[in-house]
Amino acid sequence: MLKITSLRLGFGGLDPVIAETDCHLQEGQRLLICGEAGSGKTTFLAAAAGLIPRLLPIPDCAGEVTLMGRPIASFDKTELFSTIAFVSQNIDDQLWDLCVEDVIAFPLENRGIGKLVIRERLRTLIAAFGIEALCGRRVLTLSGGERRMVAIAAALAASPLILVMDEPTTGLDPAARARLAALLQTVATSVSSLMVAEQDALALLSVVDRISLLSDRRLSHPVPAADIVSIDSPWRNAGLLPPRRQRCVRPPAILGRPLLEVRGLTTRLARPGGQPVLEGVNVEIRAGEVLALIGRNGAGKTTLFKAILGLEKTAAGTLLLDGADANTWTVATRARRIAYIPQNMRHILFNMTVTGEVIFAITAASATSTDPDILTRAAAALDRYGLSAFAEANPFVLSARQQALLGLACADAAGAMIAIIDEPLLARDLKGRRMLDLFIATLQESGRSVMLISHDLELVDDVATRMMILDDGAIVFDGALDEGWDSASFLRLGWPAPYRQTAGEIR
Amino acid sequence: MNGLHEINFFIKLTFAFAVMLVAWLVPGWRFGVPLALLTIAFLWLAGVPGLRGYIKGALLLSGMVVVSWLVNLWLQGATTATALPIAAGMAARLVTTTAAFFFVMETSTPGSILAASSAARLPPVVTLVLSLTFGIIPMLRDDFERIADAQRARGMEIDDVSLATKLRFALARGIPLLVQAIRMAHAISFSLAIYGFDLKQKRTTWRTVGLMVEPRMNMKDNANDR
Repeated sequence: MLKITSLRLGFGGLDPVIAETDCHLQEGQRLLICGEAGSGKTTFLAAAAGLIPRLLPIPDCAGEVTLMGRPIASFDKTELFSTIAFVSQNIDDQLWDLCVEDVIAFPLENRGIGKLVIRERLRTLIAAFGIEALCGRRVLTLSGGERRMVAIAAALAASPLILVMDEPTTGLDPAARARLAALLQTVATSVSSLMVAEQDALALLSVVDRISLLSDRRLSHPVPAADIVSIDSPWRNAGLLPPRRQRCVRPPAILGRPLLEVRGLTTRLARPGGQPVLEGVNVEIRAGEVLALIGRNGAGKTTLFKAILGLEKTAAGTLLLDGADANTWTVATRARRIAYIPQNMRHILFNMTVTGEVIFAITAASATSTDPDILTRAAAALDRYGLSAFAEANPFVLSARQQALLGLACADAAGAMIAIIDEPLLARDLKGRRMLDLFIATLQESGRSVMLISHDLELVDDVATRMMILDDGAIVFDGALDEGWDSASFLRLGWPAPYRQTAGEIR
Repeated sequence: MNGLHEINFFIKLTFAFAVMLVAWLVPGWRFGVPLALLTIAFLWLAGVPGLRGYIKGALLLSGMVVVSWLVNLWLQGATTATALPIAAGMAARLVTTTAAFFFVMETSTPGSILAASSAARLPPVVTLVLSLTFGIIPMLRDDFERIADAQRARGMEIDDVSLATKLRFALARGIPLLVQAIRMAHAISFSLAIYGFDLKQKRTTWRTVGLMVEPRMNMKDNANDR
């Protein structure tokens, strides 16, 4: 179906990103490609989907890609993108300000399909993805996980023969991941072949039949998924966390004074039924603590940290920061004590150099400084997170991983008491996890704390010292991890507990 | 009054042109100022989002227009008593015109414009240009606000400062806004390519379009499926 021979892709550097790689995607095959961040997965998928070089020309592109026996270059654009559908990892790269139905119907409308057929297809896809509640909403107002479901529905709308997806489970809660996996199994009748890149091999294990690992610029020979998931060494050699790794034992945290105390927080922002998004929420974080906040997509996690930062208006509640009443503080005053590291760092970068971003994090006023102390602190932070070589680069040219590291460097250098980390995707491979561990250890050792918001339950289990479950606008569990995984509140979520999941348990 | 938002984009556009025409044809400030106030009252009654921001901008714009006309007329030898009504009339025309198009822009999503244009069987290029022209300004404004929130969330004090500092910080948002605008253009062009937008192929729409444009899909009721 799709045959790739001796593929070489490079961006003009000394070494290509992909070198002499072959891949043969057969009809009916479901191939999972795993590799660490920066290994070239996205570049490889872009070439396989025909985006490189047609839409994204690059300086070094060689090799042969054939689709159904024909060179992919011989397909015109309409024919090519009717045959192959692509879902980007950074979902914002392919969405603009349309409503949910517009995005899903867009490929059909563009091809002049009749209204009745489009409406029927819309109904089928919206029901299958369980996104009825999102109808009429603008996609750019949705959460990351919701946007991804809409983009995948749009990719399937025109019934492509091949579906290529780059890290499709990013930002999805475990239930949404399971729903996506089930959905991908049911669409098998309309999509002949599937090529997916993921760092979390277990998420789509029930969907794929072969796994290839991408490391050292080459793709390994695909092997049956069941043969490789239980062996650690191939994953570690590829720089990845093995899917069936052993649970690590955490040393107990040494807790200090309360740094953040939220009491009775109720937001003005309400759900369609009029119920506040958050109602009567209490949160406490102590020095040295790593608090994990988990909950379904749309449970109110984002609203909670926005309310803590002051970006979301509250109807009731008190906020103490290091014992001081912070209720009347401006967002900026709070932010000097609470560093926020979002999943997509692009949303909070606005200075022209990487060093400028770190200096701004320290000064909270300017991206330049002549103060030797500030310059030294900025350089040390960049060095600690491996970004010294990019000190004068524009932050927007960094990769997603480098931007995430810049977020850690800024939060560390700023000296904020609490860091709120929202879904740290860099933690899904060995190098990224080392950096996150370094960041957390640095904060803990200096009497600061971390609030981690994540759907990656293994990560939560690995690094958190306490967990909270947010459901339907209220904290329904607050306590130790082991108690949390066995609690009725967690069971109600219907998610598999970390390190207890086998292939058969993935729903 | 929110039903007004769902009126077909072309009807809203015609209405806005008509209001603009009236604003420029009515003689003097005695008609112009009440018309401007009526237009703004209409925006309030229609529940147009972002009205507070628009009024701030309109006040600033009106002040600048009045001052520039006063200076101009004084230089030509007119007295203040003669110059002021003329300046007020010009400011009122501008407010009425901008308010009418603000209504169109704020209540028409790119999706509803695409639908209205596709239903009218307009060429794809016209459809695209209309959607982007009227849709991109609210998108950029949202991004401007998002950047401001990012600056606040990173400790930049932009609220508890003087007006001059606020304006300086607002101008400083221009560069990230430009970067964001380029990214947005890339996202739009990428999505058009991979979702099969073709200048030679006339588009259809899932929405029912008449005097009103269907705002959302009703999953239970298929009355519009015809």
